[in-house]
Amino acid sequence: MSGFDSAFQFDSLVWDWIIAVYLFLAGMSAGAVMIALYLKRRVIEGDPANNGIMKAMAWLAPFGIISGLTILIFHLTKPLSFWKIMIFFNPTSVMSMGVILFQVYMVVLFIWIGMIFRAPLMNWFDGKLPDGLLNWADGLLIKLKNSSNTIELFLGFLAIILAAYTGFLLSALKTYPMLNNPVLPILFLFSSISSGVAACLMFGVLVFKEPASSPSVSWVHYIERPVVMFELFVLVTFFTGLIFSGGQNEVAAWNAIGGGFWSNWFWFGVVLVGMVVPLVLNSITSKQTRHSGGYIFVVTLLSLAGVLMLRTFILYAGQMTVV
Amino acid sequence: MKCSRRNFLTGTGAVIFTTGGVGLSVLSTQTVAADEASPAKRYGMVHDETACIGCTACTDACREVNKVPEGVSRLEILRSDPQGEYPDVTYRFTRKSCQHCENPPCVYVCPTGAAYKDEQTGIIDVHKEKCVGCGYCLAACPYQVRFFNPEDHSADKCNFCRDTNLAEGKQPACVESCPTKALIFGDLNDPSSDVNQVIENKVVYRDKVQLGTKPKLYKVPHQKGEIS
Repeated sequence: MSGFDSAFQFDSLVWDWIIAVYLFLAGMSAGAVMIALYLKRRVIEGDPANNGIMKAMAWLAPFGIISGLTILIFHLTKPLSFWKIMIFFNPTSVMSMGVILFQVYMVVLFIWIGMIFRAPLMNWFDGKLPDGLLNWADGLLIKLKNSSNTIELFLGFLAIILAAYTGFLLSALKTYPMLNNPVLPILFLFSSISSGVAACLMFGVLVFKEPASSPSVSWVHYIERPVVMFELFVLVTFFTGLIFSGGQNEVAAWNAIGGGFWSNWFWFGVVLVGMVVPLVLNSITSKQTRHSGGYIFVVTLLSLAGVLMLRTFILYAGQMTVV
Repeated sequence: MKCSRRNFLTGTGAVIFTTGGVGLSVLSTQTVAADEASPAKRYGMVHDETACIGCTACTDACREVNKVPEGVSRLEILRSDPQGEYPDVTYRFTRKSCQHCENPPCVYVCPTGAAYKDEQTGIIDVHKEKCVGCGYCLAACPYQVRFFNPEDHSADKCNFCRDTNLAEGKQPACVESCPTKALIFGDLNDPSSDVNQVIENKVVYRDKVQLGTKPKLYKVPHQKGEIS
């Protein structure tokens, strides 16, 4: 078997790259919601429905969570039995608690998007859906407006928990010392925010035409650097923690980053291409360059690729070493 | 009471003769089926690595009795690298199968409750109709003994023949088939059970006890090399 094949197929591997894509999509959804919530509450003046980043979030967040869960269903060995996971619960199972979280998150997310885009949504659905249903939804959204602060804070809480959940799902596995790591949920929370930042910028500016000099884009740019730097720091604590604790933990760390296919993937893909190159580009280029469409596309694409590579790396390298 | 050396020797001889015979006859007729009315059992097993010759009759018997498809197995006998120099070469054989943990990680992570511990027997089993095939239990088991059954697509593993041999009042298939009696099965709650006799009188170890899983598969270590 070639090195490439053995990197993607080994005995202790249970979850493959599909799960990494799912982790990426769910995290990106949660990250985009966190960004949009802050913008709506603190940055945007006027109607948030006219803001390009809010529009991007309104597409990205539902897309991420729905497509993520869909590929997850088809990854089951019994896809048609997926509904059983929604009616049977197990309080000790991170996955089971995650299923509840996903359902609550999707409901609150759709309500929030409905509240922000109530007018354009009602216009668009007018004539396409029965009037009675539309009037009922419209009335509900207007009534909920009074508790919009509570709904936003609750959705923010759900988004943070959801981003961390993708880490808890893996850190619950005693089998793999690299995954059974308390830092993992924190790492995934920050990689979710960084993918949310990149996706909001890419779609907000390039697709929904938010001006690159607007206060919203400036704020997203402003948090970009500290988020990635903190993510790098969390990666350092992740691996030093494993190495300092010795035994199989240390073996797992060196197997992952001390040479071989996944080590190259990590150093060149995750760290260099996904984190260092965007950081360096953002600090050496002129403001004019940074506001150009092509530049934004390249840098956000690198960041998104970096996050997807990080999730893939953690998943595969994590399952290589058994306790 | 006077006890001369001769009396003592004949006495012990008689004891060994009778209990040995009784022990064997009990073993062959013993019924170990879970009785709902009786107090909860806690089934466990010993794999005597000093007796195991690595013939894998247990693996074949398990496959036949439990209809385990080709390509997967509920039970494996792992052979070590050769130990010693020719012609004095030995191997260590050790059993890889469900440990029926007191604190089973697979049961804790299962999102639907398909993986469960049977409270009457302490056996870890799978409600196949509840399993959706997410693979969380396969990943969570530190002993890496779970697999997807290619026929019913459910998580599968050793259940001490709970629904086959045990239900018929027999010993598990692997235990019945072992030519060297390297496998001993019984109720850990019963102080006089064979399995407890072995655990009390021999040096035993269990795999990965540091994880707090409290496995119920004990092993009598091979007498050469490091236990790993």
